[in-house]
Amino acid sequence: MEFKKERLANGLVIIGEVNNRARSAAVGFFVKTGSRDETKQINGVSHFLEHMLFKGTEKLSAFEVNEAFDRTGAQFNAFTSEENTVFYAAVLPEYLVEVTELWIGLMRPALRDDDFNIEKNVIKEEIAMYKDLPSFDVMDRCRRLHFDSHPCGNSVLGSEGSIGNLTAEQMRDYFARRYAPNNMVLACAGDFDWKRICSIAASGCSRWQKQVTERELQDHRGSKKKKRVEKPNLSREHICLMSPGVSAQDPRRFASSLLGVIVGDDVGSRFFWELVDKALAETATMQFGAMDGTGAFCSYIRCSSENATKVLDIIRGIFESLSKSGVTEDELRKAKNKILSALVIKNELPMGRLVDLGSNWIYLEQYRIIEDDINAVKAVTVDDVNLLIEQFNPGDFTQFSIGPAQTG
Amino acid sequence: MAEKLDKHILKNGMVVLGEPMEQVRSVAFGFMLPAGAAQLPEGCCGAGNVIADWIFRGAGDKNSRQLSDALDGLGLHRAGAISSSHITIGAVLEAGNLAEAIDLYADIILRPSLKEDQFELARQLAIDEVLALDDDPRQKVTLKLREQFYPPPLGRSTAGEIDELRSLAAPDTKQIIKNKFNLSQTIFSVAGKYNFDAICRQVVELFSRTKTTPRCAPVLVRDRAGKYTHIHNDGAQVHIGLMTGTVRPTDEDYYNARVAVSVLSGGMSARLFTEVREKRGLCYAVGAGYHSLKEAAGIMCYAGTTPEKAQETLDVVMAEFNRLSEGISKEEIQRAKVGLKSALILQSESSSSRAGAIGGDYYVLGRVRSLDEIKNKIEQTTVGSVLTFLRSHKFRDFTVVTIGPKEIRA
Repeated sequence: MEFKKERLANGLVIIGEVNNRARSAAVGFFVKTGSRDETKQINGVSHFLEHMLFKGTEKLSAFEVNEAFDRTGAQFNAFTSEENTVFYAAVLPEYLVEVTELWIGLMRPALRDDDFNIEKNVIKEEIAMYKDLPSFDVMDRCRRLHFDSHPCGNSVLGSEGSIGNLTAEQMRDYFARRYAPNNMVLACAGDFDWKRICSIAASGCSRWQKQVTERELQDHRGSKKKKRVEKPNLSREHICLMSPGVSAQDPRRFASSLLGVIVGDDVGSRFFWELVDKALAETATMQFGAMDGTGAFCSYIRCSSENATKVLDIIRGIFESLSKSGVTEDELRKAKNKILSALVIKNELPMGRLVDLGSNWIYLEQYRIIEDDINAVKAVTVDDVNLLIEQFNPGDFTQFSIGPAQTG
Repeated sequence: MAEKLDKHILKNGMVVLGEPMEQVRSVAFGFMLPAGAAQLPEGCCGAGNVIADWIFRGAGDKNSRQLSDALDGLGLHRAGAISSSHITIGAVLEAGNLAEAIDLYADIILRPSLKEDQFELARQLAIDEVLALDDDPRQKVTLKLREQFYPPPLGRSTAGEIDELRSLAAPDTKQIIKNKFNLSQTIFSVAGKYNFDAICRQVVELFSRTKTTPRCAPVLVRDRAGKYTHIHNDGAQVHIGLMTGTVRPTDEDYYNARVAVSVLSGGMSARLFTEVREKRGLCYAVGAGYHSLKEAAGIMCYAGTTPEKAQETLDVVMAEFNRLSEGISKEEIQRAKVGLKSALILQSESSSSRAGAIGGDYYVLGRVRSLDEIKNKIEQTTVGSVLTFLRSHKFRDFTVVTIGPKEIRA
């Protein structure tokens, strides 16, 4: 494995990890923009814009873009989160240059009015689709409740209303401010020719204009509010809990991930033994999510409405016992084994490697080899995890539930 | 790509398959136990889900907690699936811990504790899972569609039926495990970093002691159930599932069928995505794929859309199926072929994908295809061969299932 890095005069960073033993290569643009960078009026624009990049450039129509990707056999897509928009493709090595050139072209999209109007329907369908997925809906709404007025509570999809009112002009303006070369990273992993990628990036991206880009970065401890919404067509109770955590830049993020696994891994965790093994809840998981300047622990529980009160009592008990007695050496050892093996397995694929490579640069401006993360996980002690519990008190959470109408 | 295949057959008929992968540190394995949904006795639909949970609640000399701790201690990531034909249990982990993992899985398969009190918990979780399908209409439409499309009992729900799960009892379930965990029809596949001789020695030692049981009788199929089924749900979208028959993997036209499906829905330039989403903005999610059992196969399509667009969506989708045999361009075939070949190679980097693929091949074909063989067969398809296939296998019957606030004409 060999790490490479270059920065163009306009601030665009190109990074790569070359592994000539891989059978494939992956490439991606990581743009540091997402729903937290939006105002209320344009909520959902980052995600809508992600769709619009596939609609082509001054030279290429949407159909030509799709054809060009499919000619390479690429497995390609994009996703938008609260703070990043990522465009990626995994391909056979011989197609990497072609796909990279295509992405470079698409980073300067035409954003045509006609395409905008048709795609608005697709976005509204996507919003409707997620409404039919309460496991997603509850997390989206809990995030909003938890972060309150903090921009990290902004919905990624936006609402029917905000999308309905959004204009192509507002999107073009947002694009000009956020898709600046100094606000994105071009990353490659797997089997590829580094010099060739740099040269096509230099010729394709050098004219892009640098911009002043900002993001509000204050931390947020969460609203701790509790709310329940009824939906008559549902059959189960869907519960989401959120509590504050450390940021993606904080060294305590490794201890936080381990705490997430100890409390809420899908098997063998405290949630598992107290709730799932006893068949009180069908699913009960907790994960730590690190963000830019802030972070959160997020739990999802699905159970019958009759069991909901009992399940929440047990969860409170689990967190109380954690605050009182902390985690054990044995729990920490098992959690480490799980995280370490997951790290190794994920990084065997160039696509998995690309995600870590890009994220580490976006959040830390750092290249980290897998061993850096392995060592950081191994170094975490029981005291580190227990201190985290003391500092962040995960039992003091925001709670959002969606479930069927309650009778009686 | 000259990947190697390791193979050993135990005296009791159990098959051991392996594909070594030089570039990885992980190993993935799976035991395919012939106890899938279609193999179960009548009236026990969902027993597979109960079994897959129950056998992990203690085995050998370990209770539930000790067994789980032992598995977690190996940093093992469990993977399991229930299909029409098999309950597959397996895992992916760092290569160094494989032998210990196989020891534990031998206990789970051969010596599960099967305590009565634990049965009730496993059964309750299986019931909860079926109830939760009401809150996931996309998943539910897929299960319902397979049930309606495949001749019974082949398409039987892998999640289960509430009534049958409620009346399921521990002794009957124990008997199913005894009858169906039949080693003579079990396939054990492994891919990644391993030593095959060591694995064989260990598997022979662990699994040869069990008495050979006669092979289970093949499943008798009945006539297919329905053409159009609507399930009412006051959700935001109508979830449309559609399926039509096609050739099985053993058929000489198999690769023509795969390329045809890829022209229809392989990538973003394929016909369904272009016509339904790009040109008309009818859906966010629309796509079709090839789905097969050993006994039958179909092309399965899903589209989710708001009620007022549901009829148009179904009409456009069906029109695209029917238009396919009218003509396909050379470029479309070329893109479909590149897409299929590339997906094959990208998956070949993952130990989990390979362990699953070699086991599946062996069950359906009685042998494992090399990547080169598959690549060459895809390469050999042409506009002519795909069109000839489509014209001699016209899409006639469509099975349609919808879930949502509005019924449509199908």
